[in-house]
Amino acid sequence: MQYYLLVKKMKIYLVLIGAISFLHAAASAKPMAIKVLENVKKAIPVTGVVTDDSGKALAGVSVKVKGTGIGQVTDEQGRFRINAPSANSVLVISYVGFATQEIPLNGLTELTVQLKQAASGALNEVVVVGYGSQRRATVTGAISSVSAATVTALPVAGIDQALQGRVAGLNVTNNGSPGSAPLVTIRGISSVSFASDPLYVVDGFPLTTGLQQYDAKDIERVDVLKDASTAAIYGSRATNGVIIVTTKKGSRNGNLNVTFDSYAGVQSPIKKLDLLNTQQYLQYATNLGVIGSIDRFKSANFNAPIYAGASQTYAQTNTDWQDEYFIKNALLTGGNIGLSGGNEVSRFHTSAGYFKQNGIAQALNFERLNYRINSDHIISKVFTFGQNLYTSVSHQRYDPTLTANRTAIVNLIRMPPYIPVYDPTKIGGFQGPITSFDGSDPINPIETALIGDNRINSFNLLGSAYLDVNILSSLKFRSTFGVNYLNNSTYNYTPIFFDGGTGVSTTAPVSYRRQSTLVKLFTQQLNYDKTFDKHHVGATAVFETQSLNYNNQIETGNQPTNLIKTLTGASNINADNSVETNFLVSYVGRINYDYAGKYLFQASIRRDGLSIWAPGKKYANFPAASIGWKLDQEDFLKSSKTISELKLRASYGLTGINPNSLGNYPYLAPVQANGAIFPYVGSDNRPNSSFVNGITNANLEWEKTKQLNVGVDFGVLNNKFTLTAEFFKRQTDNLMLVVPTANSIGYLGTGTLDNVGGMRNTGVELQLGYHKNTGDFKYDITGLISAIRNKVLFLNSPSASIPSGSDPDLGGGDAFTNTRAGESVQYFYGWITDGIFQNAAQVASSPIQSNAAPGDIKFKDLSGPNGVPDGVIDNFDRTKLGSFLPNFTYSLNYSASYKNFDASVFFQGVQGNEILNTPRIIMEGMSRLFNAGTNVLNAWTPSNTNTDMPRATTGDLNRNARISSRWIEDGSYLRLKNVILGYTLPTTTLTSLSGSTIKRLRVFVSSTNLLTFTGYKGYDPEIGSKNGTLTNGVDFGQYPSARSFQFGIQAGF
Amino acid sequence: MKRKHIYVGILAAGIATTGITVSCNKELETTNQNRPTTATYFGTASEIEAGTNSIYSAWKGFNLVAREWFFIHDLRSDDMASGGSQLEAPRRQILLGVVDPSNPVLNSVWNALYVVIQRANTVLDAAPRATDNTAVVNRCVAEAKFLRGWAYYELASQWGSVPIYTKGAISPTDTQPKSPAAAVFAQAVKDLQESAAALPGKSGTTAGRATKAAAYAMLGRTLMQTGDYAGAKAALLNITTTGADGYALTDRYLDNFEEETEFNKESILEVVFFDKGNNNFNWGSGSGDDPNAELTTVRNQEYNPVAWRNLIPSDRVLNEYENTLTGATKNDPRYGYSIYQSGDTYNKGLSVITDGDQGGDASKLRGNTVKAGWRKFTLIYKESKEAAGFHPGGNNQRIIRYAEVLLMLAECEIEAGTLPQAVTYLNQIRARASVAMPAYPTAQFPVTTKADVVKALLHEKTVELAGEEIRNVDILRWRKKGYFATEPLSWYTAAKEFLPIPQSEIDNNPKLQ
Repeated sequence: MQYYLLVKKMKIYLVLIGAISFLHAAASAKPMAIKVLENVKKAIPVTGVVTDDSGKALAGVSVKVKGTGIGQVTDEQGRFRINAPSANSVLVISYVGFATQEIPLNGLTELTVQLKQAASGALNEVVVVGYGSQRRATVTGAISSVSAATVTALPVAGIDQALQGRVAGLNVTNNGSPGSAPLVTIRGISSVSFASDPLYVVDGFPLTTGLQQYDAKDIERVDVLKDASTAAIYGSRATNGVIIVTTKKGSRNGNLNVTFDSYAGVQSPIKKLDLLNTQQYLQYATNLGVIGSIDRFKSANFNAPIYAGASQTYAQTNTDWQDEYFIKNALLTGGNIGLSGGNEVSRFHTSAGYFKQNGIAQALNFERLNYRINSDHIISKVFTFGQNLYTSVSHQRYDPTLTANRTAIVNLIRMPPYIPVYDPTKIGGFQGPITSFDGSDPINPIETALIGDNRINSFNLLGSAYLDVNILSSLKFRSTFGVNYLNNSTYNYTPIFFDGGTGVSTTAPVSYRRQSTLVKLFTQQLNYDKTFDKHHVGATAVFETQSLNYNNQIETGNQPTNLIKTLTGASNINADNSVETNFLVSYVGRINYDYAGKYLFQASIRRDGLSIWAPGKKYANFPAASIGWKLDQEDFLKSSKTISELKLRASYGLTGINPNSLGNYPYLAPVQANGAIFPYVGSDNRPNSSFVNGITNANLEWEKTKQLNVGVDFGVLNNKFTLTAEFFKRQTDNLMLVVPTANSIGYLGTGTLDNVGGMRNTGVELQLGYHKNTGDFKYDITGLISAIRNKVLFLNSPSASIPSGSDPDLGGGDAFTNTRAGESVQYFYGWITDGIFQNAAQVASSPIQSNAAPGDIKFKDLSGPNGVPDGVIDNFDRTKLGSFLPNFTYSLNYSASYKNFDASVFFQGVQGNEILNTPRIIMEGMSRLFNAGTNVLNAWTPSNTNTDMPRATTGDLNRNARISSRWIEDGSYLRLKNVILGYTLPTTTLTSLSGSTIKRLRVFVSSTNLLTFTGYKGYDPEIGSKNGTLTNGVDFGQYPSARSFQFGIQAGF
Repeated sequence: MKRKHIYVGILAAGIATTGITVSCNKELETTNQNRPTTATYFGTASEIEAGTNSIYSAWKGFNLVAREWFFIHDLRSDDMASGGSQLEAPRRQILLGVVDPSNPVLNSVWNALYVVIQRANTVLDAAPRATDNTAVVNRCVAEAKFLRGWAYYELASQWGSVPIYTKGAISPTDTQPKSPAAAVFAQAVKDLQESAAALPGKSGTTAGRATKAAAYAMLGRTLMQTGDYAGAKAALLNITTTGADGYALTDRYLDNFEEETEFNKESILEVVFFDKGNNNFNWGSGSGDDPNAELTTVRNQEYNPVAWRNLIPSDRVLNEYENTLTGATKNDPRYGYSIYQSGDTYNKGLSVITDGDQGGDASKLRGNTVKAGWRKFTLIYKESKEAAGFHPGGNNQRIIRYAEVLLMLAECEIEAGTLPQAVTYLNQIRARASVAMPAYPTAQFPVTTKADVVKALLHEKTVELAGEEIRNVDILRWRKKGYFATEPLSWYTAAKEFLPIPQSEIDNNPKLQ
């Protein structure tokens, strides 16, 4: 075995060394070939210098002869020497971050070219792809790029949130309170059992987390790789797309550039629900028929003071729990100081940032401090050394009930309005209802939020160092070593308290949890790039390993006093520690070829070995290929004054599911050794218990997705109008599904992972732009629209279904969604309502609904045990009620500038999706006495028959509150996501004010979520997901989006 | 040119270094360091014992004895009534006979019973591999069979026809079709017979583990349910009344429901709960998992007359106790031992329970409106209303006590036609020191005919065992025997005799159809 491995390893080295030698030899042979061509064509040698707008030389600038494959790169002094085929050739000079220039030679042989810093539109010229960059013109896959200006426009914590609505096919949904990561999907849901998170790569480092810890102000650009040909270079992890973040480097112009950005603002809740006040609550309790049995409402009790010594009685109390729970004008602020500069040898960018966001609900906030330094140093013509280092610390205060079954929002709906929030006579200072005395038992949500302390402190370090070796001008080697260390410390504390009712703790539980993750990355990369006449060839070979070590420690205990909030001296101390690891080894190869910039071809393959699979299943191959045709380079279009760009492209490839969400041993159902206890009485007081809770599946393998992408890029009138259209089809034939084991197998129905499903996403994306870049009034309009259709092709058996999500409080335990072959994934599932029974005769003449009475909801008889309506309303009558998947999503971004003023307006919307509004089940379900929505007062009675609200009846025997079309609502919305109005002070004013201290000063005001157009009745139509991917679109009573207003300044020194 | 060779050399060296750093294939062979696999675990007696412990652990989880198991029994019996509007809708629906296949309470119990069966099967499948301590392994095998038998008894009596598993599933497709209720009872009988033969007496094992007496008592219950009264009698008579392994009635009736007197001489089977004093309940795991889990039961909380009061004694139960106002010669003291009524003292005699303390619905006792709640298994006999506001307790759930064995024997004798022997058993119950009710026959309860003795049995079983999760299964058996003059459950129809199989089981077990 060892010997075999050694031989295998040596073989790989030999092949690599052989390849290098070959490339070397090929490179050596090349000048000869060019010389021959020169002679034949009588080429004209042209020399020149390329500088930036301040006159500093730019190294590495691409200088090409338009329409040919002839190209050079400037040297350290910015010089180039190129052989132009004719005196009338046109040179194309391009460089990352600068506007590309085309210079007709018109007989000139010596040039001085000054490149201008690129406006955001010109960003398109070069795109960052995996393990390198590529000219946009030669890209054959689906890549969308987002500029720094766009990423920093929204006042949000993370880069991921900043991408909402900015990229066709990229869907970002807010999912929780400040500091919680949003849901990000590229081109829809790709997996049934796992989150569809894309892979995030920051400066070449593939992260195992999201982007919540990264400061958007450090970002140079973001590139989103959407199809197989671009993403497959990340192979095993690329099914959900790849988001590549590139951070800022310094410039080489010899000047220090200092920037200062700061903004502050306030956020407020957008919407309020109509809930019952005290008088209405009494009316409702009467309608439910329970008021008589509730002792609270007896006159002596209801007219008693709310606590000893209070002058107010319960009858006089009218608590608006929404006003108490939500916070208006919550602070939102952020700032960043950046310093960058450099010369011909070294350059750097360093920055420090701060972000703080308070929640619009009690006890929620997020704060982050971050620091970055990036630099690179040209040691010699051959060696360049560079490094990126980023650290951040963050503090999040969160409300654990926001992810529990009964969220704070469920509780605030349910809280009786006659109960006061505070009660100074109680330990802890809050008051709550007494279960049987009030006939109701919600938990005071203000108490839950404020009584204890729940915090996550995170430390994140991402650092990498690389050495570039310019072996030849066409052959470069890069060796990278990087480390990502993450440490999350979660602290939970609840003091001893008693609110007189449901809220009580007799000891103070203290819990510390520390989760640390260490990821190490080694990348060895060889890039070859060479132009032979009209042939341009590029090749990349990569050997990479990435290891992960995860350490989880938890300590819990109870304090008998409120004076100590740590574990010192606590009782019942328990500790646990577990360690997990994984290891990924990759071999990557990619070749690019283009002929005369017209015919483009790219192929890549990645072979990955990943430790998380069972022996024998560890390795898999992920190939991809793509072709492109730049019609604008053809003779018949070249001279066109109208069409400035026209490219057709197609790609096909294979990608794998991002394993971040799979855990480290997904195939294994191990023994939960000592995973439980049973307290026998006797000598062995608490012996350990070991059990198995699943079925091991050693055949589990990588979920692979076949992806086809066809795209066209179209530009007219010098790209004033641009259009990019994409069609894609993504199909997975070995979808990993948690095959639900029958509950009788004895694993609580948890299920076993197996590759048994098939799913397809088909979609189109359209990106339209109009760019007016000249004159005093400049503006830019970008519209995005994307539509995706999802279909589950097959599951483990033709009749299999995956009912998912249920909650006894929300509809009585019915599954929220179902997944079946032939339908879209996780459609909403339940009965269809058919009006209200108006009288006993209608009940008698309708399909049997045992226990139905006049005033109850009639449900439709759709099927039965034999697949046909059987006159009985039962589980066979459940059907598809809608889908969380929108028909299309769209956004419109308009940015304009007039002289010193600039403005931008950003609309974002989704259309045609449904939401399961479970807070409305809480408000209108009427199955038990709780506070409710005012609509319950319009419940059916024999004298109030013209209503769609069924009768009020405790116990809900007809199950009016079951999951049905009653709770499904149209989730379409159009949101004015962001408006910005800015003013840049004229230089003359600045000089007179500050001398030359301040070079640039812009002030702006902005608003987020200013307007929302929606028919959705809940707090917020932007619905995240609580329990995993199969409850998307279920509103569990989540933390809603806020409306905010900001003021900010941006200064340059 | 020479220089370039140097670079190539550097490059090759770089790659080679990386290669040495990373011996990839070895690194790919990671194992879960925190968890062993079934291939290696369960190979020793101590591991088999740990596996056996996990069956008990699931048994005590809130899907079973710590919560939903007693709800299923109580909601489907006429021992209980709703305490008020605070009773959750899915529970109220079962109480009123409206049981939907997605009802979460019934789903929880079904799932957890099969967890018990699966964990028992894991032990039984692996036991032959563990050869290091045959005595321990044999005892564990007997305990696993006992717990599996108990689970099949519960399944057959609540659901009727259900799938039977006697081996652990290896693949998700290893599901079983429904077997008739008779076959499910037969499996329970087989398991209980085998375990009864092998289990030690209570003096030979740790309190809380299954014993020979527990197995015979369960076997008696099960055989009676199948109509085999002779077999049941034989099994029950194997429960000895003498010696270290003997059982007898406690003098003090209340000893059977209080925390201080767990594992007394009357107690045959208990599920152990333990209060760590932190007022928590393991809401997180229905099967009671997590090594640091709370070990409390929420039973005393659910029925607590001064706190949640979700279920209260039904009017039938309240009115069943003999009282001088209705012609008895003595008030049955078990009324006050089982039930709190306004005016009673609690909290070690320091507090008096009032109508105001008992929120929610009232009851009718002999035509009067009273507020009453359960005393059995609640902890307010020794704690204040404030302390009981939320306090899941450590009071063990008694599953079988010797009084029930006597009442089962009485029923066997009735069915065998030996009425005097039946009356003797009934009178043993009434003669308990702290009860001391006049022996049968009484004016209200003559014992001349079989019908008389049946009536006395039904009466005695309610006043002795009300609220102890026995009545519901008795109803199933007595209804068939024609013991009832009127149907005890208002909602009963033949279609509702058994609970429906949960929807999630129907969805995922293709062999059910």
